[in-house]
Amino acid sequence: MIEVLIVLIMTALATATLGVFLLLKKEVMTTDALSHTIILGIVLAFFLTEDTRSPLLILGASLVGVLTVVLIQWLQNIKLIKGDAAIGIVFTALFALAVILISRFLDHIHLDLDIVLVGEVLFAPFNRMELFGYSIPVAVVQLGIMAVINLLFVVVFYQALKITTFDQIFARSIGIFTVLIYYALMVLVSVTAVTAFDAVGAILVISFFVAPAATAYLLADRLSHVIMLSLGVAVLNSIVGFFIGYYSDLTISGTTASVAFVTFTIAFLFNKDGFISKRVRRKEMHSDLLQLMMLKHIESVSDVGKEDVYSHFNQSQRMLDDAFQSLQKRNLITSTADKMRITDDGVRLIQAKQVEFGLTTRGVES
Amino acid sequence: MMDILSSFSFQIVAIGTMILAFACGVIGTINVLRQNSLIGDAIGHAQFPGVVLAFMIVGTLDALSLLIGALIFGAFAFFVIQMINQYSKISLDASLALVLSSFFGFGMTLKSYVQGSSAYGHTGGIDDYIFGQAAYMLRADVNIILIVSAISLLIFIFNYQRIKIFIFDPVYSHMIGNKPTVMNALILVMTIGLIAAGLKAVGVILIVNLLIAPGVIGLMWSKRYLYVTLIAGFSGLVSAFVGTYISTAYVGFATGPTIILCLSAIVLFSILFGTHGAVRNGLMRRRHAA
Repeated sequence: MIEVLIVLIMTALATATLGVFLLLKKEVMTTDALSHTIILGIVLAFFLTEDTRSPLLILGASLVGVLTVVLIQWLQNIKLIKGDAAIGIVFTALFALAVILISRFLDHIHLDLDIVLVGEVLFAPFNRMELFGYSIPVAVVQLGIMAVINLLFVVVFYQALKITTFDQIFARSIGIFTVLIYYALMVLVSVTAVTAFDAVGAILVISFFVAPAATAYLLADRLSHVIMLSLGVAVLNSIVGFFIGYYSDLTISGTTASVAFVTFTIAFLFNKDGFISKRVRRKEMHSDLLQLMMLKHIESVSDVGKEDVYSHFNQSQRMLDDAFQSLQKRNLITSTADKMRITDDGVRLIQAKQVEFGLTTRGVES
Repeated sequence: MMDILSSFSFQIVAIGTMILAFACGVIGTINVLRQNSLIGDAIGHAQFPGVVLAFMIVGTLDALSLLIGALIFGAFAFFVIQMINQYSKISLDASLALVLSSFFGFGMTLKSYVQGSSAYGHTGGIDDYIFGQAAYMLRADVNIILIVSAISLLIFIFNYQRIKIFIFDPVYSHMIGNKPTVMNALILVMTIGLIAAGLKAVGVILIVNLLIAPGVIGLMWSKRYLYVTLIAGFSGLVSAFVGTYISTAYVGFATGPTIILCLSAIVLFSILFGTHGAVRNGLMRRRHAA
């Protein structure tokens, strides 16, 4: 069981490292395309080797993955077709070819479609190898190596990757081989997708690439922080997804993808510019300002009635009541028999705010 | 050859895929031109949990209820993509990929739950909604395709001018009183409807292809939108016919993928030799340079 979790975490680490750059370079859908077409590569390599465990399968599949990227790039470069349409026609065609090859020539081999699409990480420990006298699942070794390679790639080429990601033209002008960096990245993406294929399949690997990166991107601003955070999120998603999937007897890659979406949604709603945080903050600012303006009004017109104050503001009754109660609670005004008066605290606050907003005559003179 | 053409199952499959391909080709031009072609990919995958949930509620693989489930989740997925796009700095392609994979993962989770539970009957056939199983298309499926395609095409024809202006000049379109939200909703209804209707017959991947490839073909041969839509529609129609014929005549050619390959062959030819294709373009450029 722990081995399954390790495979899942290795997958998450290997994919999330590259995912950040795919996200920032807007190449996520290209990844979706190549994760489909590697099936064609696996089929073609299988024709040559007739062995489902052969390492040539990984090579062949990765080659077709890269070929997909080359084709898409070529179609985009001749500028006849828009980028997204190029992706759409290339991957569907190659995928269709793979399906036909399978149904025409490999009919005798049982191909579980579910495993093609979502993988089955539970099977990973069955395929084992000897390493330093220990028996280890092959997937752990392969994915572990991929995770290390990807991490090394990002660490070693960090500056080059960063500059090409954010400013291609500048990168080229200072002598960075942007095309080389791009293809290096896409080769690694394609090898990683192939290695992760058995565990998480063709479609859900996209979730592993993009979801932690997107979550981290919403929570951090610096590239290095985004990368580290995305690794953390990836591991978290895998652990939670694993336990839900394992104990409820559901497909583990599926639950991990679902959990990844939940973490993303939480980040989307509650990050500092998030959907909900922004609304909460706007409401707070609104009510702060209303309180201040009310206080200022009460300061300038002493012993004023509540209704009179309210009539000066075009706000809902609830907003006004809230502001009024808040002012009272903060001891900024006293209210007796419907006559309101500002307290010393209130006066001090008004003076402080006037300085802060640069509204005092003193401020103008100096 | 006449044997095949007159066989009932061939006619059903051919008619179903031809109507679907024609409608998808015409409607797909909108998304291709608006550089939004992969929306079909995202929505197609995201409809899967809707299909499984509908199965869990109804208990049978009833085509209509599964269609409704797919429609609801398609619209929901689109809404989520819009929200992410509008209220965060995540780019469109990332939000598409995120929704695509997460929703699909959720669908597969539900499916594994259904298959592991004894409370539900036979689930064979749910997989058709991923890869499609055109060869087993039923009369009821063709009827659904026919109705949805007709509705989509009618919406398209009646709003042809507005849609055309919206595609090529969204600002002007807004100015003359066509609300962008209404236009988006129109396009969305047509796209989601066609995806949901075609899902079982031809599968997600073929739907993606049907929505993009014919549009690309059209654009390689004409610069007039009316011709582009017509060329797109008919290239879809012809490919569907040829694809269905090949898949019926030869063993091992699944209908959906064969149609994709026919379309892809036309795409390749058009990109190279179309009146606006690579070769002509290259020749023109060289002539200008000389």
